[in-house]
Amino acid sequence: MSPNRLEFATTGATEFVDITPRIRDEVRRTGLRNGRVHLQSLHTTLGLAVNENEPLLLRDFEGLLERLAPAGAGYEHDDFTRRFDIALDEPVNGHAHCRQLLLSAFATLMVEDGHLVLGRWQSVFAVELDGPRHRELAIQLEGEFARHGRDAAEALVEIELTRQLMVDPEPIASPMRRLLEAGGKRLRPRLVQLTSAIGPRDDPLRAAELAAAVELLHSATLVHDDYVDESTHRRGSPTVASAEGPERAIAVGDYYFAKATRLIAQIGNPGVTSAVAEALEAICASQIDDVALRGTYPGDRDSYMRVIRGKTASLFSAACASGALLSEANADVVGALRRYGELLGTAFQMADDVIDFSPSSGKTVGLDIKQRVLSLPLIYAAEDRVVGPEVRRLLAGSLGEAEVGRVTDLVTSTDALPRVREEARSLVEAALRELDAVELDGLRPALAGVARSAVDRSS
Amino acid sequence: MTVQLLEPELDRLEGLWSDGLSETYHAYLDSVRRFDPATQPKLALAAALIEVGVRLQGLGGRAAPPATLLMGDLCLARGSRLLADHAPLAVQVAFARAIESLASAAASAVQAAPARQLLHESLGATA
Repeated sequence: MSPNRLEFATTGATEFVDITPRIRDEVRRTGLRNGRVHLQSLHTTLGLAVNENEPLLLRDFEGLLERLAPAGAGYEHDDFTRRFDIALDEPVNGHAHCRQLLLSAFATLMVEDGHLVLGRWQSVFAVELDGPRHRELAIQLEGEFARHGRDAAEALVEIELTRQLMVDPEPIASPMRRLLEAGGKRLRPRLVQLTSAIGPRDDPLRAAELAAAVELLHSATLVHDDYVDESTHRRGSPTVASAEGPERAIAVGDYYFAKATRLIAQIGNPGVTSAVAEALEAICASQIDDVALRGTYPGDRDSYMRVIRGKTASLFSAACASGALLSEANADVVGALRRYGELLGTAFQMADDVIDFSPSSGKTVGLDIKQRVLSLPLIYAAEDRVVGPEVRRLLAGSLGEAEVGRVTDLVTSTDALPRVREEARSLVEAALRELDAVELDGLRPALAGVARSAVDRSS
Repeated sequence: MTVQLLEPELDRLEGLWSDGLSETYHAYLDSVRRFDPATQPKLALAAALIEVGVRLQGLGGRAAPPATLLMGDLCLARGSRLLADHAPLAVQVAFARAIESLASAAASAVQAAPARQLLHESLGATA
């Protein structure tokens, strides 16, 4: 049994949040091979539904709910003069409770051979009926879990992360534990583990230590990033800065920055230590560039590439190189993997940019725009001859819900998203070509698999 | 040691040199005498960057605004790279433990030893 919570923020009064990718992530993360996923709404104005994610159909559903239980139709629940213990911020939401009665608060989905069993057009929705709010769903997975091969390698990293956090002071460890338990793709540790099996010195335990340290370092940078970007949520959970304040966020980020660099140094391979230290410096330098470029938002492609090479690609590159160095692979192999990692990291970031515009990602659409984070689709849309002037005009002003929605629609109306997706795929192919000239001891298919899944993803 | 010789390490941080980093750097020179002469300025600068970095971030005090935090992060990262490239393992580990100690105290709202004292001690660490 694997219990957890799915958290997310809604942005509208009524909203169909497609949580299918989040559920798939849970299935993947837990290694459930065959069994069931149980979902339960933890709110009386949030329902669950399985149906088609087609925007016009979703409007039909919204219309149906409005007709069956119209807002402001004189609900007794809304007559506060007849109720006791009313909170000061008690909402007028009799209609939302009644609508929830028409839906379900529960759903059970089947999993076969590691895949969620859904029909071609089926998506799983959390249906917000009284938003915008922060919401929580209970999720339990039961059945037969895989624990071999890749799963065993992933389990080693998870055990190492748990082990490291167990010895840390609770005020520091607790926020980091929440961040790590909220999920994440663990791509960087996966790359460390894969590449550490290439050279003659293949030691899975040392590789897991390095992989966990790299993940801690990445997480430390996220904790500071979230404060800088004023993000309230990450992976569906409140950020450390929003939950515990910026002072705590700075301390947690610093602690794990230092601890990760110490763990890496203690592995005792100077090449590995230098590779990761260089990446960390590149990340910090590019964060400064990123914030500086927000003054000329959305910027241009050259600036974007410079920032993401430092901000994202450098740690992918270091993860690949450090794994190979740990296994004492030869210099040609290390160099090829370093280049593979850099190209893959760049492609990964581009794919992330595209996902920001996808309503089925499980994330809030347009968050990058709202936070003025560099985004390649946005840069291309701003350069578009037809919609570019309006995009630039909107981005020059303050960005409320309406403006973000309009910019999202404008970007989607151009060829920016397919163009960026194609560019990301080309980078993945270029990354794989880097591997052609070196001997990888049969690991090329696994590296190709990681690379392709990093860009062909929906969340 | 002059600022020109340290210049490659100070890229993006020039402003800080005249704003306290120079003074902090000189405060560590005595503690690095036991190292190879070519390494001494690198290690003194690493210590100075880390001290200035945590001060800029507001670690243990009021949080710095985002842009200042990022500058502090860069100081820490650059100091850490200098240590990775030039310091013995025992010194690298001691520096990391010093930052862990400062951060842990900050999160627990307890008084930590002054950063300079911890970093001076770290420069004396041996295997």
